[in-house]
Amino acid sequence: MTDTMQTDAVFHPKPSMPPPPNTVGVVGWMRKNLFGSLVDGILTIGCLALVLYVLNSVLQYTLINAVWTANSYRECLDINKGEGACWAGISVWFNSMMYGRYPDPEQWRINLAFVTLFAWMAPFWFPKVSGKMLVGASAVLTFPFLAAQLFLGGETSLFHQAMVSVALVLFITVWLHVGTSYLMGRSIGDVLVGITGFADKDDRLHKWVHMGFFGVGFVLAFLYQSSWEFVEVPITVWGGLFLTLVISGIGIASALPNGILLALGRRSKMPVIRVFCTSFIELFRSVPLITILFMAVTMMPLFLPVEINPPKLIMVIVAVCLFSAAYMAETVRAGLQAINKGQYEAAQAMGLNFWKMMALIVMPQALKLMIPNIVGSFIGLMKDTTLVSIIGLYDILLMAKAAGQNPTWLGFHTEPLLFTASFFFVICFCMSKYSQHLERTIGGGYGRR
Amino acid sequence: MSLDTAAPDNTPHVASVVSDEVVIELSKVNKWFGEFHVLKDIDLTVYKGERIVVCGPSGSGKSTAIRCINRLEEHQEGDIIVNGTVMGTNLKNIDAIRRNVGMVFQSFNLFPHLTVLENCTLAPIWVRNLSKVEAERIAMEYLERVKIPEQAEKYPGQLSGGQQQRVAIARSLCMSPTIMLFDEPTSALDPEMISEVLDVMVGLAESGMTMIVVTHEMGFAKRVADRVIFMDQGEIVEQNTPEEFFNNPKSDRTKLFLSQILAH
Repeated sequence: MTDTMQTDAVFHPKPSMPPPPNTVGVVGWMRKNLFGSLVDGILTIGCLALVLYVLNSVLQYTLINAVWTANSYRECLDINKGEGACWAGISVWFNSMMYGRYPDPEQWRINLAFVTLFAWMAPFWFPKVSGKMLVGASAVLTFPFLAAQLFLGGETSLFHQAMVSVALVLFITVWLHVGTSYLMGRSIGDVLVGITGFADKDDRLHKWVHMGFFGVGFVLAFLYQSSWEFVEVPITVWGGLFLTLVISGIGIASALPNGILLALGRRSKMPVIRVFCTSFIELFRSVPLITILFMAVTMMPLFLPVEINPPKLIMVIVAVCLFSAAYMAETVRAGLQAINKGQYEAAQAMGLNFWKMMALIVMPQALKLMIPNIVGSFIGLMKDTTLVSIIGLYDILLMAKAAGQNPTWLGFHTEPLLFTASFFFVICFCMSKYSQHLERTIGGGYGRR
Repeated sequence: MSLDTAAPDNTPHVASVVSDEVVIELSKVNKWFGEFHVLKDIDLTVYKGERIVVCGPSGSGKSTAIRCINRLEEHQEGDIIVNGTVMGTNLKNIDAIRRNVGMVFQSFNLFPHLTVLENCTLAPIWVRNLSKVEAERIAMEYLERVKIPEQAEKYPGQLSGGQQQRVAIARSLCMSPTIMLFDEPTSALDPEMISEVLDVMVGLAESGMTMIVVTHEMGFAKRVADRVIFMDQGEIVEQNTPEEFFNNPKSDRTKLFLSQILAH
């Protein structure tokens, strides 16, 4: 007792003692989590047996009894008596499931477009690259024109050609920017100003340097792209995973901006805007997507003039965009409501106007809170696009079904579906993981709370 | 009656620098929250360089009153004129007033997704169109004045309450306001952090800033205020110099309030 009663001028904390044995390390973990009691032990062993049994069956089906080369489904069955997968069929149908009826010699255009998109987005993951917002904005605003040109081919309008040229210039600029950021530690803009000797001139002159370089690049790109001669591929032969990605990609890219506008409109004090946005959201949220899709492809053409007869795919994409925007609007509204009133007041008190307050203060915080929900909507939308198979668009799911209806591959159903499912799993799982990464890193690295 | 305060009385009163130029004028201001009449015929004239402390029981309308001055609350009747600009539905006038009036909140309201420095430079860059370099120079100047330049790269969530409130003060000052409003700046703070915030506010007073402070810190009122205003039930019950107000309160309501607030 005297020890604790002592009143030294300086306070010395007691030294930390090691924890009791059997509570830490592998043994401690197993005691605590696997064999805490008799029931726990039995459950652990039982579950282990179940896992091993399932794993064994899966391995038997997918690997050990699987057939890798065959020319028809009959041949597969003859070899493994139906006890294993017939992966041979997947390699036969792979091309159709990826590209639909897109002509083989032109498929490189699709690959090129997707590679370009990934290359355009890649600088997001390079820590030294500045101006990531500009990189993203350039991709979102101009890549669709480039992609349309590659996917469709054929003759295009002058405006479209100009936008394709802009896209080319911006894409090259982004990668030059990555190069200068890593090699010289400066942005492409600064480097251009530096080599033209404008560095010590007035800041306001710098933008003319940038404009000049952009103009030269634009002319070169325009001349280059006018030499392109792509065979026209009609929109009706698009199919497979390519079609799924086009529909869901456009739906996802348009959902967030449209959703933000709708959500702001719904919270607006102006009655006309509020009533319009609220009715739009409620209407599209209350109707199943499949109904909207049927309406789009069967009823909309009845209302449109005869001369305008848009392809089914265009109608479907519009329908998906409207639907996803309505859902996203509610997600965004939830995020906006989570922002403390004080944040709005502080922003107003500092003289920020409505749009600056939203863009600089409210949205960055709300979007961070909404990441799990936004990505949830995106994943849902990605999977919902398989509904277009019901209205006869040959997306990856309908292609998988079509495989089993081919006379040579009659009955070949399970494997294409497994293959399709694994594709969706990979894409959606990546989105989910990336959203967790975003939650941890953006907005000051506060991590998940 | 005895009105001993916990705050030290020996510190001298900050020199008064009141000029006769009117910067804020409220006349016959009325405001309702639905049926509830929260401000009743408020008349108030604030001169340049004047420090006013507003006190009163909760629900007396003191926060609402100062929030009307930069239109965080809308008043329904009466006139509010700030720096010669009439407050109304004209957005340009509201923006002009808000640019000149800084505000510090009870709950700090720093932007949690921005660093301390970014908090301070955001409005100067986006509202006053300063360059980033210039805005950062000014921000560092004010962060030094509130004695936390070393925290510039941190996020608000990493700071203590007192530090956050000092950042909030610096953030307002970065807009070079001519008037500062304080809405219970120390009420959300732990006792040991109140003095660091009050010190900054005293420093601000010494520099001649026009200040309206809603607070229960009577020591601060005695030391800094040129005028103390007591509000109750949406009305200004009494206003006077601090000596008169504390030593010789006129109305019974004021006496009761002072005895309650100073008794503990």
